Amino acid sequence: MLRLPVLASVVIAAVVLLYGAAGLLGERHKLAALAPLPPRGDYAITLAFAPERFHQLLLQDQGRLVEVRERTVYMKDVAPAALRDIARAYWVASIVPWSGP
Amino acid sequence: MGTAGVLLLLAAWQVSVPLVGLGPYFYPAPTDVVGAFGDLIRKGILPVYLADSLERYLAGLATGAALGIAGGVLIGLNRRASLALSPLLKFLFAIVEVAWIPIFVVWFGYGPKTILLALVYVVFFPVLYNTLLGVRTAPQLLVNAVRSLGASSFQVLRLVILPSALPGIITGLRVGAGFAFRGLVFAEIIAAKTGIGYLIFEGTQSQQTARTIVGMIIMGLLWLGIDQFYLRPLERATIQRWGLTVDAEQRR
Repeated sequence: MLRLPVLASVVIAAVVLLYGAAGLLGERHKLAALAPLPPRGDYAITLAFAPERFHQLLLQDQGRLVEVRERTVYMKDVAPAALRDIARAYWVASIVPWSGP
Repeated sequence: MGTAGVLLLLAAWQVSVPLVGLGPYFYPAPTDVVGAFGDLIRKGILPVYLADSLERYLAGLATGAALGIAGGVLIGLNRRASLALSPLLKFLFAIVEVAWIPIFVVWFGYGPKTILLALVYVVFFPVLYNTLLGVRTAPQLLVNAVRSLGASSFQVLRLVILPSALPGIITGLRVGAGFAFRGLVFAEIIAAKTGIGYLIFEGTQSQQTARTIVGMIIMGLLWLGIDQFYLRPLERATIQRWGLTVDAEQRR
């Protein structure tokens, strides 16, 4: 009788889990070269496209957004947890340390 | 048949675009909408907006339904509560949620609290009134029979009144769930910076009308999914379990 809601919930849960797992794999891959992460770091975050307002607002929540140049967002004072959050986003192409403006 | 109708509509829409001759800002083609959908996925905007909207929707629906059921049972069982609260509830029911949202913004600011309150407000009333109807139409014969067997008030509620009211509660939930979608769009347009409602609004603001149409289609599909995969089976299950009402599909 309630097979359909259970099945739909299982499918949704599977999609969410896969999405989360893919994010974690992406995070490891993007941050592999940066380990160990400093308590606060400055980074150049390159996206797969020119960032929109949505991406800038999201990144602003994770540190101090200094500058946007073409596809790259330059950020200061990013904590390790925030950097991991950023790295999990599939639209982030690469993250490299930045020595400042 | 349904799929054929949709395909026909899409074909007519695509063919009409060059005939109308307006730019994609005024009249985007289905291919523009598909392109905008792909763009929103690629840029990670749609998954975040969808998750935010669903989170708000479920929180508002759950809270509004819980309050509506509790209120309906209380008013349905207690004559004093009914006399005291009915005029106020009728008055509040007449004020649409859109009128409340600016006040909620003043009190709670832009963000999740305002959206949650707006959703609770729209879900509360249909759930309350349908629960009330279910409680008041519980068969008195069964209530008396259970009482004569020595049942306590709580047992009467649990064994007779709530099962009798269940089809009404489910109907209220279904109506409230539909209202909550409209409330969500209004609330996100006014009080959010993310969500499908915001996407609908922001798309036209930034002259990306195809994104607005993506938002509208997502809203429609979400509602179809929730109704098809959750609300209808739940309604059918309660009808079959308690056998107190019959819906149009079962009659056919």
